[in-house]
Amino acid sequence: MNRLTFLILCLSAQIRPVPTAAQQAAPPHDSLQGAVRVVDLRARALEITTGVGMALRVVRLRIAAETRLTAAGAALPLAQLQRGDIVRASFGTRPGGFVAYTIERVGRMTTTKGGGGGGTP
Amino acid sequence: MTRLGLCALALSLTVAACRKPPQPGDPLAGLTAQERDRFVHGRVVFDSAFTPATGLGPLFNAVGCGECHEDPKAGGTGDEVERHATAFHPAAAGRACDELAAKGGPVFQLHVTPLLHAALGIDSEPVPPEATAIARRTTPAIFGFGLLDAVPDSVILSYADPDDRDHDGISGRPNRFFDGRLGRFGRKALVPTLREFNEGALIAEMGVTSPAIPTEETVAGQPLPAGTDPAPDPELPREATDLLDAFVRLLAPPEQKLTREARQGREVFERTGCARCHVPALRTGDSPVPALRHREVAAYTDLLLHDMGPELADICLGLATPSEFRTEPLMGVRLRSKFLHDGRATTLEQAIDLHAGEGAAARDRFRGLAAGERAALIAFLKTL
Repeated sequence: MNRLTFLILCLSAQIRPVPTAAQQAAPPHDSLQGAVRVVDLRARALEITTGVGMALRVVRLRIAAETRLTAAGAALPLAQLQRGDIVRASFGTRPGGFVAYTIERVGRMTTTKGGGGGGTP
Repeated sequence: MTRLGLCALALSLTVAACRKPPQPGDPLAGLTAQERDRFVHGRVVFDSAFTPATGLGPLFNAVGCGECHEDPKAGGTGDEVERHATAFHPAAAGRACDELAAKGGPVFQLHVTPLLHAALGIDSEPVPPEATAIARRTTPAIFGFGLLDAVPDSVILSYADPDDRDHDGISGRPNRFFDGRLGRFGRKALVPTLREFNEGALIAEMGVTSPAIPTEETVAGQPLPAGTDPAPDPELPREATDLLDAFVRLLAPPEQKLTREARQGREVFERTGCARCHVPALRTGDSPVPALRHREVAAYTDLLLHDMGPELADICLGLATPSEFRTEPLMGVRLRSKFLHDGRATTLEQAIDLHAGEGAAARDRFRGLAAGERAALIAFLKTL
């Protein structure tokens, strides 16, 4: 794989939408950084908003038993993730959708006035 | 110096003195031959009209960049108005804005290709019932946007005063993209870079996939019906998106021509407080393009969000609440015939009069000006 192909694959994973049967041709391993939209504790899954410019996408990641969730280097229970948290995720493709390998909370988006907006831990 | 050398020097000085200022649609001054070449080739991509066979749609607002950004030249404004929608839930835990990205938002395209129409029987992308607001968005002129892109984050943040600690009634704050980066492009300052602004427009406005976004938009969150998207992805190769980016990045800002009345108006502009948000000049930082590096750009914006009051409020986006908008750059405002984010004002006086929220005090001072001072301020704006 040359560098250009690798770059294209990396970029493409950042804006992949919620996977559908027609849109699951994903690379085996990729990463993204975006804002948590939904924490689905029952299904053990996250929906993350990401995208490019005004073209936004939502990526749904299943949280497997071996998925490593962290914040500032410490383990983080899924239930402590909230809508608006900014996470960096690595993930791969499995039958039925994407599965997260690692989820790291790196910041928070807030709509409160104080502090000039979120974005950093 | 020899006589020949003196003649050459005199000639070069004469040429420089006679050089016409850039007109709308011209490239920045001081580009290298290679940069000018990329600008010229990029304009061809910008002026392209896509068809379904070359990548248009299946959902789209326009067939090419130049369909909307056309007046007075490529890169300018246009009379098209598009539709954005989001859901705002201020009492919700965590982030209050839902951009409806899982339902095709926030840009809901107004047109579909014949194949998609035949498959679904729709003429535009439906806005889901979850939307709490639908916004109209006019076409921004993009002259000088390469300079705005080159302004360091630190410069923008230096104008932020989210808690209004100086008690002037103005509390600009930055928007952030979903990965935490500072936003600056778009009416709500969501988009961090010009590159992403351009690449996002390819897919959101024309339905053209690129290496940065190789998947099509969904239709209100549902995948495209089979056979409705005949062009292979990416529909625009990397080389073409690079050229498109070069054209937009290297467009010169409109040249300002100050008359005596306009100079008086500039003083009134400062005195009424307009300049507290419409910051007259921003300085760019480092850039691989020398013509963009360490330049002063007469942007007349702070690129921050300000609360403009409930009358102008429409959608939320990122951290921006419905009533918060990025200070519109006044660079090139003389070229527009409609004003504000949705084009509701047809004169500059109307646009000022519709300022509320953080803009209310400056608006009130404008209303209280003598007729001559008001005229001078408007004359000044018409030079930008």
